[in-house]
Amino acid sequence: MRNSEIAISLKGLTKYYQDLKALDDVSFDVKRGDFFAFLGPNGAGKTTTINAITGLSNYQDGEVKVFGYNAKTEYTRTRPLIGLCAQEFNFDPFLNIHQLLVYQAGYFGILPKVAAKRADELLNRFQLSEKRNVKHRALSGGMKKRLLLCRALIHEPEILILDEPTAGCDLELKFLIWDYLVQLNKEGKTIFLTTHYMEEAEKLCKTIGIINHGHIVRIGEKKAVLQDKSLQDVFLEVTGLE
Amino acid sequence: MINNPIGFLSLSKREILRFFSVSSQTIFPPLISSTLFILIFGVAIGSRVDFGISGLSYLAFIVPGLMTMHLISGSYENTSSSLFIARWHNHIQEMLLSPLSYFEMVLGLLAGGVARGIVVSTGVFLISCFFTPIGIYHFFWLIYFVLMISVIFSCAGMMAALWAEDFGMLNVWHVYAIIPLVLLGGVFHPIEFLPEWLQTFSHLNPMLYLVSGIRYSMTGVTQIPMGICASIAFLMAIISFYFTVYLFRIGYKLRS
Ligand SMILES: Nc1ncnc2c1ncn2[C@@H]1O[C@H](COP(=O)(O)OP(=O)(O)OP(=O)(O)O)[C@@H](O)[C@H]1O
Ligand SMILES: [Mg+2]
Repeated sequence: MRNSEIAISLKGLTKYYQDLKALDDVSFDVKRGDFFAFLGPNGAGKTTTINAITGLSNYQDGEVKVFGYNAKTEYTRTRPLIGLCAQEFNFDPFLNIHQLLVYQAGYFGILPKVAAKRADELLNRFQLSEKRNVKHRALSGGMKKRLLLCRALIHEPEILILDEPTAGCDLELKFLIWDYLVQLNKEGKTIFLTTHYMEEAEKLCKTIGIINHGHIVRIGEKKAVLQDKSLQDVFLEVTGLE
Repeated sequence: MINNPIGFLSLSKREILRFFSVSSQTIFPPLISSTLFILIFGVAIGSRVDFGISGLSYLAFIVPGLMTMHLISGSYENTSSSLFIARWHNHIQEMLLSPLSYFEMVLGLLAGGVARGIVVSTGVFLISCFFTPIGIYHFFWLIYFVLMISVIFSCAGMMAALWAEDFGMLNVWHVYAIIPLVLLGGVFHPIEFLPEWLQTFSHLNPMLYLVSGIRYSMTGVTQIPMGICASIAFLMAIISFYFTVYLFRIGYKLRS
């Protein structure tokens, strides 16, 4: 990796959807091994930022670097470093969930034999083994969330980006996901998490960034951001929702 | 060129297995319609037609045309439907998030279109063998034209899949441009049989050169020099391929 200390670096990121300025000069770094919470109200620009990092979205100005590689011009280097657990379900409807993971691993250059083993392990860890031969349509909402996670992890990425991973999950699943994320982070993986659950962010994260109307309105280490207040209070204060 | 061979092979495999898994929609319909065409136009009507082209029977004349037509449709339909459905369900993101280069993505999708075109046109050829002895006059040229044509129309299918906003738009190019041009390109008739003004127009129709290429490879009969057919096919294939890669690179309707 070209820069092994900064996992994600955004500089002056500006993005328009037609006339709507969804991101306005967004700049921040996420350090390697960080557990970063990216918060903001609905429509603030969280998913748009994530899409710019992963290459799912174009942007008019600015630069995205992943471990020092430019995400636009060196995308074949940045993409293996990132696993994305998207906000919405988007699975290939023709494949069963085990095949789906094996193909996904294949695109990342992982041999089918290795991929099949990894897929089994992940399905097992997220309690989906029984469903390995069904298509995603036959899964419940919570199961689909878990499948999104399995898919994001299949190529063992350095950075895991999670766009509201626990929305709509029951308590047990929430805890399962939290435990796993903490474990991954301890192993040195960088986690980038968006969520609307303040307690989730407060409990898990080391660093917090808050975005509102496409502007970063607060960013820093958890302690510095909170300053003895609750995250909810800080959030309401900086987003003007009080 | 290909830096991620496993990724490319995975994508190709997915594309190829997909059309095999729905063969009742992808492989059998063209075979059934070809059998009927051969029976009705080739056997029933063709045997009563005094054709007069270098000793070819009408049946032997239309078989390469039918093969070309289904080669084109099979390739086009495969990539257009696969890519459009992937956009529609948004599982295109599985591919877009991966380290496959845009070149590899297009090549992987292309593999499905080329394979389907080859499977279907080979099927048409085998069926025709039941009705008339057709040899292959020039095997190298046959492979060459089959590959070029399937590349051209697999790429056309991808362009259509990117351009289309709904399922209706997906077939617009196929129905209003490709099929008419292919039919006018001499699938069922030698263009010399057309009125003069239409003959002039036919020479501007690129499909004429593709159909003629396949027909020459199989029968050895051609009204157009092979060098011209081969060059036009090559040019069209290269341009359509790199244009498709370009559309992927700029993220045309792939990235918001
Ligand atoms: N494809 C799109 N076309 C046009 N506008 C879009 C598109 N995607 C997002 N937007 C707009 O961009 C802004 C930011 O959206 P974004 O999805 O990034 O919000 P978010 O912070 O992820 O919100 P949420 O918490 O609801 O997921 C919103 O105003 C949204 O309407
Ligand atoms: Mg969002």
